[in-house]
Amino acid sequence: MNTSQPLAEVLTSLRVGNQSFLISFYEQNRGLFARWARRHHNLDAPAAHKLLRTVLVEFYDQVVDGRMTKLPPDLRAYLYGMAGEHIEVASRTTAVLPVAEASRRQYLLGLFRQLSTDCQKVLMYFYFRGYNFEKVAGKMGFANSTVARIQKAGCLRQLYELRLRNESATT
Amino acid sequence: MAPSAPDLRPYLEELERFADGQMTVAEQAAFEQRLEQDAALAQAFLTYEQLTADVRWVAGHETLRLRLESLDRRLTQRDVALSRIKQQQRKTQKRWGLIASVAGVALLALWLLLRPSTSSVEETWAQYYVPDAGLPAAVINEERRPLLAEAMREYKEGRYPTALFTLRRVPTSNLGQDTLLYYTGIFLLSQSKQDTEKAQDAQTFLRKVTQQSGSGLAPKAQYHLGMAYWFAKQPQQARAALQTVANDASNPYQQAARRILQTNGIAR
Repeated sequence: MNTSQPLAEVLTSLRVGNQSFLISFYEQNRGLFARWARRHHNLDAPAAHKLLRTVLVEFYDQVVDGRMTKLPPDLRAYLYGMAGEHIEVASRTTAVLPVAEASRRQYLLGLFRQLSTDCQKVLMYFYFRGYNFEKVAGKMGFANSTVARIQKAGCLRQLYELRLRNESATT
Repeated sequence: MAPSAPDLRPYLEELERFADGQMTVAEQAAFEQRLEQDAALAQAFLTYEQLTADVRWVAGHETLRLRLESLDRRLTQRDVALSRIKQQQRKTQKRWGLIASVAGVALLALWLLLRPSTSSVEETWAQYYVPDAGLPAAVINEERRPLLAEAMREYKEGRYPTALFTLRRVPTSNLGQDTLLYYTGIFLLSQSKQDTEKAQDAQTFLRKVTQQSGSGLAPKAQYHLGMAYWFAKQPQQARAALQTVANDASNPYQQAARRILQTNGIAR
């Protein structure tokens, strides 16, 4: 893999939220991966690009969750293997996993995507990027940090209430 | 979250203010004290902590997904732009290739149309020139004029310099002046292919013969003089000399001269 970041530091930097390694990986390997996917799995370019993005996000989740404690010796081979598994699973069944079996975080992810784009952004800025309210206000075009704080609180409440509603509907 | 988890809503605002560091020192101290004493609040706090940890994970996941999607759009746009540029370059190359081909064909056609004649003046001249046959054996009388016979033999064999050398050794008492001048001119003119200046030299001798109105060789000399002018690239003099030949019905070269003048061979 042709990235300037030493592999030993990759896991550490990913865990603290530095995603640049995966962004670079995607930029450098997008075309290569698409050719591989076309040859081996007869996937067209847009589908291959989407698959690689999914695999990278999944890999990121593995690292952040702590499921991945050691970087594979050949990361590209590992990611291609993950992609291959994805394709095989998709060809076996297209059914969505039942809610009961989905992990709590995957479940919350589904709910998160139901929020408005602005809410998603505010929560991402605050909880992932670690921006303070002033910076969130600047990024979102809010009048001041108080507005940002109120917006963030409202969005978190929306997410929580969404979860409550879904849970009461399923029980 | 388990269904039995406490409802966060009554505590949410307070928990957020605490977690986000928005409480005053007194408020925070009081809240911390309540956390130790109020089991429901403590449970709500734990639930809140788990929720925000999950949100942090979700936010990271979504941030990466969105960043990758945004990058993908940029890369696709770049690929499209690059392929458009390549297509345009190919089109331009094809267009220029076509233009170059058409221009090349046009130039070739123009060249074929306007090209100068491949045959040089010398070649055209050789096509028209009727060489002198030389003196017949009966006229030579070899026994009496062996040098003249030898010169004629050498001339017929194409050894013109030798023929000229031999001719100059023929005693003048043994040969008429006009004949000597005429064949000197003829032998020089015959060498003009090897040495163009010989055509100029030949003119001198042939002109002298033409000026001898009583000589039977004068008409023939007139023709060869015209051809010598032509070879020396003196077309006006050549045309005038050959016109005289063409007008003379008794001149053995009349037809040859007419042919040159009619086909305008001198101008080529």
